[in-house]
Amino acid sequence: MPGAAEILQQIVNGTVIGSVYVLIALGLTVIFGILGVAHFAHGSVAMFGGYLTFWISQKYGLSLYPAMILAVPFGAALGVILELFAYRPVRNAAPINAFIVALGLTMLVDRLNMLLFGPDQLVIRTPYNGVYEIGSIAVSELRIQVVVVTVVMLCLIGYLISHTSAGRAVRAVAQNPYAATLMGIDVNWVSLLIFAVSSALGVVAGALIGALLALAPGVGENLVIKGFAILILGGLGSIPGAIIGGLTLGISEALAAGLLSSAYKDVIAFMIMIIVILVRPQGLLGRE
Amino acid sequence: MKISGGQSFTLAAFALLGALPYLAFTPYTIQLATIALMWVLMAQGLNVIQGETGYVSIAQAGFMGVGAYASVLLVQRYGFPVWGAMLIAPLAASLLAAIIGFPSLRVKGHYFAIVTLAYNLVIFITLSNAVSITGGEGGLSGIPRPESLELPYFGAVSFRNRINYYYLTFLIAALGYLGAWLISRSAFGRILRAIRQNEPLAEAVGVNCRRYKLTAFVISATYAGVAGVLYAHMIGFINPTPFAPDASLNTILAVIVGGSGTVAGPAVGAFMATFLPEFLRVDESTRFIAYGLILIVATIYLPRGLVPAIAEGIAALSVRFRLSGSPHARQKPSSG
Amino acid sequence: MSSRSTALALSSLAMLLGLATSVPAIAAEKSLNVGYNDSLSGPGAVFGLPQQRAIQIAVDEVNSAGGIKVDADNYKITLITNDDKANPTEATNSVRKLIDRDNVKFLIGFCCSGPTSAVASFIGGEDVLMLVGTAAEKSITTRGNSNLFRNRPPGDFTGAAAGRFIASKGIKKLAVIGALDAALYNQYLAALKAEFEKLGGQIIATESAGLGDRDMTAQLTKIKGLNPDGLFVEIYVEQAAFIYRQANELGLKVPTFGFHGGSEEQFLRVLSSEQMEGVYDLRPTELTLAALGPGATKFAESYKKRFGENPAPNTGYAYDGIYILKAAIEKAGSVDVKKVTAAMASMNVPNDVVLKYLPVDGKLFDQNGQAYITNGAFQWRNGKWTFVSELPSDTRAYSDALSAARASKNPIK
Repeated sequence: MPGAAEILQQIVNGTVIGSVYVLIALGLTVIFGILGVAHFAHGSVAMFGGYLTFWISQKYGLSLYPAMILAVPFGAALGVILELFAYRPVRNAAPINAFIVALGLTMLVDRLNMLLFGPDQLVIRTPYNGVYEIGSIAVSELRIQVVVVTVVMLCLIGYLISHTSAGRAVRAVAQNPYAATLMGIDVNWVSLLIFAVSSALGVVAGALIGALLALAPGVGENLVIKGFAILILGGLGSIPGAIIGGLTLGISEALAAGLLSSAYKDVIAFMIMIIVILVRPQGLLGRE
Repeated sequence: MKISGGQSFTLAAFALLGALPYLAFTPYTIQLATIALMWVLMAQGLNVIQGETGYVSIAQAGFMGVGAYASVLLVQRYGFPVWGAMLIAPLAASLLAAIIGFPSLRVKGHYFAIVTLAYNLVIFITLSNAVSITGGEGGLSGIPRPESLELPYFGAVSFRNRINYYYLTFLIAALGYLGAWLISRSAFGRILRAIRQNEPLAEAVGVNCRRYKLTAFVISATYAGVAGVLYAHMIGFINPTPFAPDASLNTILAVIVGGSGTVAGPAVGAFMATFLPEFLRVDESTRFIAYGLILIVATIYLPRGLVPAIAEGIAALSVRFRLSGSPHARQKPSSG
Repeated sequence: MSSRSTALALSSLAMLLGLATSVPAIAAEKSLNVGYNDSLSGPGAVFGLPQQRAIQIAVDEVNSAGGIKVDADNYKITLITNDDKANPTEATNSVRKLIDRDNVKFLIGFCCSGPTSAVASFIGGEDVLMLVGTAAEKSITTRGNSNLFRNRPPGDFTGAAAGRFIASKGIKKLAVIGALDAALYNQYLAALKAEFEKLGGQIIATESAGLGDRDMTAQLTKIKGLNPDGLFVEIYVEQAAFIYRQANELGLKVPTFGFHGGSEEQFLRVLSSEQMEGVYDLRPTELTLAALGPGATKFAESYKKRFGENPAPNTGYAYDGIYILKAAIEKAGSVDVKKVTAAMASMNVPNDVVLKYLPVDGKLFDQNGQAYITNGAFQWRNGKWTFVSELPSDTRAYSDALSAARASKNPIK
């Protein structure tokens, strides 16, 4: 039977990967919750951000964080382009159309990534290889940084939403799009802003994944599916839900792989999704 | 009985396909056409849940895999005769669809799509990992063709003959097409479309939407299961690769581009999806980019797909032709 | 006319006729179409693309040296290439195309097991010869096809030798992590386990990871908790690198053995040389220059010059495939596919190959169409894979077991 130390180690492992999940889920929940768009291509956008970070760091000799910061505006721009040219035309059509557009975008952005950056896996190397050992729990420097960066991003987003006029506009649209329009808020502009911010979060997630694991075809889809599982778990449009959901998923995966079977690790996310739908369709912290 | 333009086109297509082995030149073309017909079954099935009912399912390839593996396992592990296995195996897909559809159809539109994608992945992962049963990535080989039949007019028909297998697939695909057509014209089909248009309203009027959606989902899965069975016994080897979510996305593409909600549309889309890559010798990446663009453009500008668009185009042209060519214009401008 | 001048005239005529028929005016140059099917995109490309490059080098070498000589004809090889995208359906279509539309009689390539198995299930009834490269699934050569040959040994051929090697290092409690759903790896492991346990060892953990996974911390944490004295890793190169890195990060420091191949560059992209120090790779020697002859070095140089990188280990199979085909055609003295097949089944190890083959009863291929190469132990020392020793393998015993497996299957015809 695994001891307490082993379980604790699994939880630590799960928290790290869970943090990346949180970043992805945050981007998804904001778009889905406020604009009602199931932005399935978000994973591919995150990958684009990660690949770009890698490219910038290689070409200009920058390390992970400066390269990532430089990549953010481009990722945000990509999100904005997708909104303008792909999602906006179907905004008033049946919601399923937006989803199909999202599927098409996923194929498109994925292949563009492959054409631009190649099909091989790319790993963003960092000098943060040191390993901290607390008792028998081992955690590498980079992994600690991933959690810290996620917390920083969360605080940043929180601040933007509650203390800026743009954030106020977003909150207004979230509460009631029609009333917001009546109040003179341009919903188009808010949509662009939401996509820009979400994609920026995606870039950070992509860069962190590139450093922690690797960037390769298929990684994006995997992330976004788990992102939606988190949305279902945590509740649509709920930011605290995304946070709790992301961490729960990460830790559950680690514990399941450790205690049950590693072969079916990915299946955990889907099992959770299905159980939540059966038992509490609005998610842990959802509204409806 | 008066046959409409669209219906005569369909009959012509059937005739062409029926005569194909005598028109086509190589076993390769027959093989490709056989595979295309399997995709017609997949697309027609998907159309029932997606085109008619409005719920996109990304699990179609997963159900195909369930049907395929069920049939092969029945034959190889339990010694079933091949015909018996081929008949029973699609029910495995139906059963699975009933079980997983029951809770999942509670959720709306995109939620449902994502959940079906998750199901496809679960099926794929399970097929890959249950090595002792499924052979994992190494797959199951030596899958036999169905036993030869003694038919009254044709004598002994061996299904190791490529052309005979083509006709078997053609027959089943034709039955599937007929089934889809019947569904479309029936009261059941009308209710499905009502659910697509406005589910809350249908619910309010007293329709048990849950039951109809579930039935549609099970029908779709059954079609996929049949396609899987035909596939396995033709190729002679299966592994999880063809049943990954990629193939589900291809099916969705076929339905949307062909024309979701019509009966001919998915068939056209399936043929296009199979034959176009042969004519367009482009590499994988370009092809996927094209797929993505086509999906997006089609959804924005041709939301009802190719077949309705072409049909409308032809109708528009013929009206114009009739009005300008007719010496007896009905509308006489009133004097003044 | 006198009898002497008649005799002179007749003999001159005879001489002229003799000269005319024995010296062909120009040696006829013909083209031999060879169908090349491989996984050139998708997940298999990491094996297929190196094969393609190796085959290109071999074909260019053969053609520039005059082609394959058959009687008075010189056959230049023309490759007709198809990409099966590592997908069994595509592979079946692609081979059908090659046979029906392009009328090829000889097929090479086949780096990936899934697509190759699909083709192997119907190729027996076709009038072609199929030479399989890197695809490692065992049943490809137990299916009863008399026209299928493979020069890459199945996974478990090396597994048995690996089990003995690990036991010889004093390991008693081995933890295993790998892509156990892949036939290559689970067959290797089965053979490893049998030998390891025979010598008193015990496998205390068997963790699996998907072929696309990169985060194996959960499995490694579980393994660490069981206190193994050895770790065995079998998965694709890219994932193996992550396993080694994460094992380091989790403080799991035990003698580590692997089955994954891979060049130094591939590993150093993911982790540092210090983190790799001491790791063993137990695999067929494949294209490891230190263990092979001058032909291999020459090939590696041509490859590097033309493509700008070191050849991957599996390129040897593909390169040799062309030369094996050439030798078989020359031995048969014909390009008739039946004669070449018979020649290939009975040929000795040809001269121009780069890998080191272990003949069975003096022949290159055993009665199952399977060839065998040496197995070797390699260790990462100071940033380089160093060849440590050959792993002794019993080819005869393995070949007999393979024949038994083949005979036990009902011939599906």
